[in-house]
Amino acid sequence: MQTTADHPPIEVRGLSKTYRLGFWMSRKVQALKSLDLTVTAGQVYGLLGPNGAGKSTTIKVLMNLVRASSGEARLFGLPPDFKEARRHIGFVPENPAPYEYLTGKEFLKLSGQLSGLSGQTLDRRVKEVLQIVGMERAAGLQIRRYSKGMIQRIALAQAIIHKPKLLILDEPTSGLDPVGRRQMRDLILAEREQGTTVLFCTHIIPDVEALCDRVAVLVGGNRVREGSVKDLLTSDAPLFETILEGVALSQIHAWGYQPKYSKEIGERLIVRTSDQEAQSLARKVLGLSGRIIQLQPVRFSLEDLFLQALTEVKESVGTEIT
Amino acid sequence: MIQSFSALALNGFREARRNRITLVIGFFAVAMLACTTLVTEVTIHTFNRVLTDVGLGVMSVMLVLLAIFLSSGLLSREIERRTVFLIVSKPISRGLFLAGRLAGNMLTLTVLLVGMAAVFFFQMSLYRDGITSTQFVAIGVLWFELLLLSSFGFVMSSFSSQIVSAVVTTGMYFAGHLATDVYNISAKSKTEAIRVLGKVTYYLLPNLSRLNYRPQASYAVQVAPNEILSSVAYGTAYAGVLVVVAMLLFSRRDFK
Repeated sequence: MQTTADHPPIEVRGLSKTYRLGFWMSRKVQALKSLDLTVTAGQVYGLLGPNGAGKSTTIKVLMNLVRASSGEARLFGLPPDFKEARRHIGFVPENPAPYEYLTGKEFLKLSGQLSGLSGQTLDRRVKEVLQIVGMERAAGLQIRRYSKGMIQRIALAQAIIHKPKLLILDEPTSGLDPVGRRQMRDLILAEREQGTTVLFCTHIIPDVEALCDRVAVLVGGNRVREGSVKDLLTSDAPLFETILEGVALSQIHAWGYQPKYSKEIGERLIVRTSDQEAQSLARKVLGLSGRIIQLQPVRFSLEDLFLQALTEVKESVGTEIT
Repeated sequence: MIQSFSALALNGFREARRNRITLVIGFFAVAMLACTTLVTEVTIHTFNRVLTDVGLGVMSVMLVLLAIFLSSGLLSREIERRTVFLIVSKPISRGLFLAGRLAGNMLTLTVLLVGMAAVFFFQMSLYRDGITSTQFVAIGVLWFELLLLSSFGFVMSSFSSQIVSAVVTTGMYFAGHLATDVYNISAKSKTEAIRVLGKVTYYLLPNLSRLNYRPQASYAVQVAPNEILSSVAYGTAYAGVLVVVAMLLFSRRDFK
């Protein structure tokens, strides 16, 4: 069966997964609840969520490592258990564990062979990907001698060796130092520039902001937010943060302002209001011989969005079914 | 498909070759085999028989130990260390992965068996009439015993930990060699239920004594080709069923 260009790289409809735990498998934990997701060609799509939100489970279902309890997942129009569906996919799991008795080069060769490469094409691609991930010098070392960052890079190399159309990455930057994270981000960006569709999950928000076109926020197995990063960050009216001195919060309330956020730190007061309110508040404070220490727009970050979503969804991580 | 299969099999062989335990057992086995000549120092006559007996015994024990060690950890170790994630996510079926891993296991055992057989036959060649055709039969059929045992370890390894797999496979090895005794003893019982139980146990357990031609090799007794074929077919069929069971279990397994 052939994959077709008409189908999106990833299509998930009503996907649910319940794990059975314990010796008698009597404990049930619902990791995913009727998830819908579509990743179109060329997108970098981020799955954001706290630990246990269902991000890795979604990826494992897509990579046929875990079977869905209900719903369906499609890769280029094919179910994940079709090996043809995985032919155009590169995958890096969370904490990747390549065979440590192999050298980096041997592991890449094995990965290439399993992905259908052979002969000179395989040898050429091994050299190319080693160069791309900057591992030429360590290629002859056994993987057991690699650092975490080197393992992560060799794992990415095996994922791109067959030039996949879709890259699926589970926490690709987790556990890396800032330099390693930057390198990994650059490698992902380079793949995006070549037109590769990327789905990756993380709980590191700056990575999502730096890399993604579109984001879904998962909490407790539910998708609580979904949209383009730009839309999600500009959907709310912009707020301004004013840092004042010489005015009490009660006075501000007495003037009729209802700040979205306020905090008193010693003599200083921090309030967040709308643009218009901030301007008039500043005038009143100055008129009362108060001081404006700072007045600046509040950038609504993905972190705010993420925390907002978490607050809205009261459910805890991995709902247990009794 | 053939490329993926051979890549997995050769990788399995490479893994075993770089495993210190395999190397230690391999060298120890060859050294022990070489030392069997010393047994002749305490033997007055029948050097050939004693050498065959001890030599084939050493080969069998060492290779069975290695087969249990390698097969019981093959899948469970992959799952525990999560190395399986990077392999089964490739465009290969889980069945092919399993078959490739088993083939790698058997390749390792075959290389060791051939090496040990070479040492054994070199020793036997030092004696007149030392080498007999039954010794070849015993060594050849030992390979099928190792295949059956590895397949059983494989089944266990597809759903349990390495220690559990190793313990159960070892138990199965002894039970398999005692299967005929279980049948004979239970047949003498006056209770019908015990006779039936003995019969059922006999048919369920792999009858490993059918794959043991070491006593015949020791006494240089000729074995009929039909009997050898029947034993080989039995070992292959039993191993085949076990591999299918392992594939069914493994293909349905979630890797959390």
